Amino acid sequence: MTAAHGRPARAMAAPGVRAALVALLAGALCLALAPRFAWLGQWPDAWTLPLTQWAGTAVTWLLEAIKPLAREFSALMRHPMDWANLALHATPWPITIGVTAALGWYLGGFAMAALGAVGLGFVVASGYWTESMNTLALVAVSVPLALVVGGAIGILANEMPRLKPPVQALLDVMQTVPTFAYLTPLMLLFGFGPVVGLIASAIYAAPPMARNVLLALERVDPEIREAAVMSGATRAQQLFQVEIPSGASQIMVGVNQCLMAALSMVIIAAVIGGFNDIGWEVLLTMRKAQFGQSLLAGLVIVVFAVVIDRYSGTLAGERRRHDRRVVYLLLALSVVLTALFWSSLADAATFHVLTPVAEAVDRSLTAFTIANGATLDAIKNNAMFFGLLPLRIGLDQAVLPFTWGFAWTGTMSWALFAVAAVLCLLLIWRGRPAAGLMAMIAAGMLETGIADLPWPFVLIGTAALGWVAAGWRLALLSLVLLSSILLSGLFGRALMSLYLSGAAVFACALVGGAVGWLAAVSPLAWRLVRPLCDMLQTIPLFVFLIPVLMFFQIGEFSAFLAICAYAVVPMIRYTRHGLVSTPPDLIEAAAASGATDAQIMRDIRVPYAAPTILLGLNQTILYAFAMLVIAALIGTTGLGQSIYLALGQADVGLGVSAGAAMAILALLADRIVQGFAAERRRALGL
Amino acid sequence: MRKAYPGLAAAAVAAFAGGASAAELGASGEPIKLAINEWTGQHVTTRVAGEMLKAAGYEVEYVTAGMMNQFQAIADGDIHATLEIWSSNVSDEYAKKVAEGTVVELGDLGLDAKEGIAYPAHVADLCPGLPDWKALKDCAQVFATADTIPLGRLVDYPADWGTPGADRMAGFDLPFKAVPAGSEGALIAELRASSERKSPLLITFWQPHWAMSAYDVKFVDLPVGNEECFNDPAWGVNPDATHDCDFAPSRIFKGGWAGLEEKWPAAYQILTNYQLSVEDQQPMMGAIDVDGGSVEDVVAAWMSQNEDKWRPVVDAATK
Repeated sequence: MTAAHGRPARAMAAPGVRAALVALLAGALCLALAPRFAWLGQWPDAWTLPLTQWAGTAVTWLLEAIKPLAREFSALMRHPMDWANLALHATPWPITIGVTAALGWYLGGFAMAALGAVGLGFVVASGYWTESMNTLALVAVSVPLALVVGGAIGILANEMPRLKPPVQALLDVMQTVPTFAYLTPLMLLFGFGPVVGLIASAIYAAPPMARNVLLALERVDPEIREAAVMSGATRAQQLFQVEIPSGASQIMVGVNQCLMAALSMVIIAAVIGGFNDIGWEVLLTMRKAQFGQSLLAGLVIVVFAVVIDRYSGTLAGERRRHDRRVVYLLLALSVVLTALFWSSLADAATFHVLTPVAEAVDRSLTAFTIANGATLDAIKNNAMFFGLLPLRIGLDQAVLPFTWGFAWTGTMSWALFAVAAVLCLLLIWRGRPAAGLMAMIAAGMLETGIADLPWPFVLIGTAALGWVAAGWRLALLSLVLLSSILLSGLFGRALMSLYLSGAAVFACALVGGAVGWLAAVSPLAWRLVRPLCDMLQTIPLFVFLIPVLMFFQIGEFSAFLAICAYAVVPMIRYTRHGLVSTPPDLIEAAAASGATDAQIMRDIRVPYAAPTILLGLNQTILYAFAMLVIAALIGTTGLGQSIYLALGQADVGLGVSAGAAMAILALLADRIVQGFAAERRRALGL
Repeated sequence: MRKAYPGLAAAAVAAFAGGASAAELGASGEPIKLAINEWTGQHVTTRVAGEMLKAAGYEVEYVTAGMMNQFQAIADGDIHATLEIWSSNVSDEYAKKVAEGTVVELGDLGLDAKEGIAYPAHVADLCPGLPDWKALKDCAQVFATADTIPLGRLVDYPADWGTPGADRMAGFDLPFKAVPAGSEGALIAELRASSERKSPLLITFWQPHWAMSAYDVKFVDLPVGNEECFNDPAWGVNPDATHDCDFAPSRIFKGGWAGLEEKWPAAYQILTNYQLSVEDQQPMMGAIDVDGGSVEDVVAAWMSQNEDKWRPVVDAATK
């Protein structure tokens, strides 16, 4: 139904131009015919199939079938959790701090030892020691599980290239189907308790590990590979003794991301409940809108993340040997101190040193809201009126006397199209016809609004884009998958989700790219940005919902900000990582031939980093979709809300369908980006 | 803090306790697990019940559990009772499990709840005529925001609790758009921001809730309705719509594992007869959320001062 006519008559037209032309034609037709045929604008309810009910029946049947097995697994996983719990709780807290500091010294000398001691000291002072140890027990079991599973998936995909596409799809599904969507089925399967949280967090944390392992193995220098082959190593030896060590730095990015993802899922374990962990504390304080207290509880999670991250980070690089005697000294010191003060050793749960600080933070939030109420309202109104609202419902509905100061008229629509047409002709004249046609399409979308886009245009447009990015298969896949959303009757909600996450991804790409570049050129900037990234990625975002809500109230702008806060991080990280990992010999060669710093950046570092940056963009898209569900706690009306509805009504079918719809959108966006990335890589000869 | 009315609650407890006869303790060596949900009132309710069970000679374990997700655990016998279920936002899972026979209802808790369209007290200055609902007809503009313009904005319950606010706006034909809050935290954040900034806010809310007194929340007066109001459009001020009346009173009740009665007969009786009034619960909530006391201490203090309210229930089941 799209540009399906084999060889075109005009062989000179590039695929991009043909695809854009088809999409433009489809859009124009829809726009012209929509007033006459209502079914073009909105998919009629009568045409939907009871897909959600079927999904519910099928999934429930499947769950009942594998339930006994799952319960066995659940009972099995309980043991390591109990051991971890017992070990962490039975150890007096000064010894735990001593061991952590000693480990820090062993790994990275004074700086690491101090980080560990100060970090855990903060946890003791916060009064959340007991809850923290419960959380740590969960992470201690789920992260190794995720690392092993993720690593195995990555290696498997590398060993059998034919498995790569299905593995990629699986990873996307694991990362994009929101945890809340399968919470009810998971509980049914594994029973009540922390094991459900453990499994949910492992499912979410494994994909970054798998992706990075795969990327690391793919980028192993062919010369190194050949050297290993020539020295007669078996495949396993090549893999474990040569390829994995040589990709260690990339794999450590995966370990880091895996840890962060697991910790960010701690809050999900709390939603189910079953053990009194730090996430539960965050939920309780969030429910009371106590920002200071929930920030304090959230920071405990961040402290763990930072300590674990920095410790694991030292494993990637070259390590200096630090004096072993200090390790023994630290251990001995903590034991002696514990023994000396055994009788007077306070229970860690009774400390509340930081409570006044939390209250002060809360008060300053109040003061800020009162002082800046008008400014905050102005920011929100401007962003809504001139950004989000036109994007959602289009200029024809968003431009009203009380938003823009005047009403949108038919003449203005024609003027908009005329300007777009002029721009289009100009671009065609400059030899960029695809860009010109895209300008026309953009004008049409701006006029209509993303939430009101006619479904034939969305289907055809996406398929055309998929075709340009990766060929016929992707075009067909996108048609099939989007049709399934149409048939399930969730298309309207899907467009709402698309609009919100699309706006957020766009903003994140701009801001995150710029910050990542800054962090790459200035080590000082990175030192400032890095802890912020760690915090944004690991602090339960529930914590930030409170100030965002108090500043900007319930609504799309708040949701947009919440999504951006989370999704911007991979963009920053990957952009920086890509830019700083340019091989030094390339830079030296360019510098020797007289290139300026700016030229090196533009011609060497950015192109070399492009695949990594695109991986970052891909992660940003997936993160934005993941955050949609949390954003639904603010009160959005997209697929995220459906998932909460399903959770409340224990509607397995609706939950699974809405989760699947979300995964489909993310998956298509991801495939299209990856397609363009691959094309880019080919063009650069990488 | 509100003043307690001990006489009333004691009478209610006595009335229920009177008819009960003593029962076996059952497996008193095994701990009875009570669900701790996400809100303070429920913590108080559960802790009082747990201490009563302990006084009867049981071991009690408090297990944190999400309100929406707890019923699967109760059906599996991983949790044995949950003591504060609100009919206004109970998960459909509960009805399914009751139909299945794995979860049983343990009777009303005796908390008198009220839900309604509410506003922080200062809003009365911005929209003169409140609490009369007719005042809202003319000052919708005051409540308008970027998301709802030109309509006023009503912050409704999270979508999974139902849409009672939106139903009222349609029922009374008020120019308001109901925006679902997404979570209880979002509702509280709205109340807090509105009280601090003295900005307009119309919200669907309920009591008993600590925020009612903390943010001086008032209810809009809506005409008292009956069953017909929800079924017959002709009833009430608006002849074209249902729901043109006040909220139907919400029921608060207790639920438990189906095997509870057989395993711990006396505990089943205690939990079934257990009652707690708003007048008792609300001051305890205030002592915890506003004055910063711990649940353990506040409940222990209440238990020692109000032994006449709970002891008869325990004695009736065990002696």
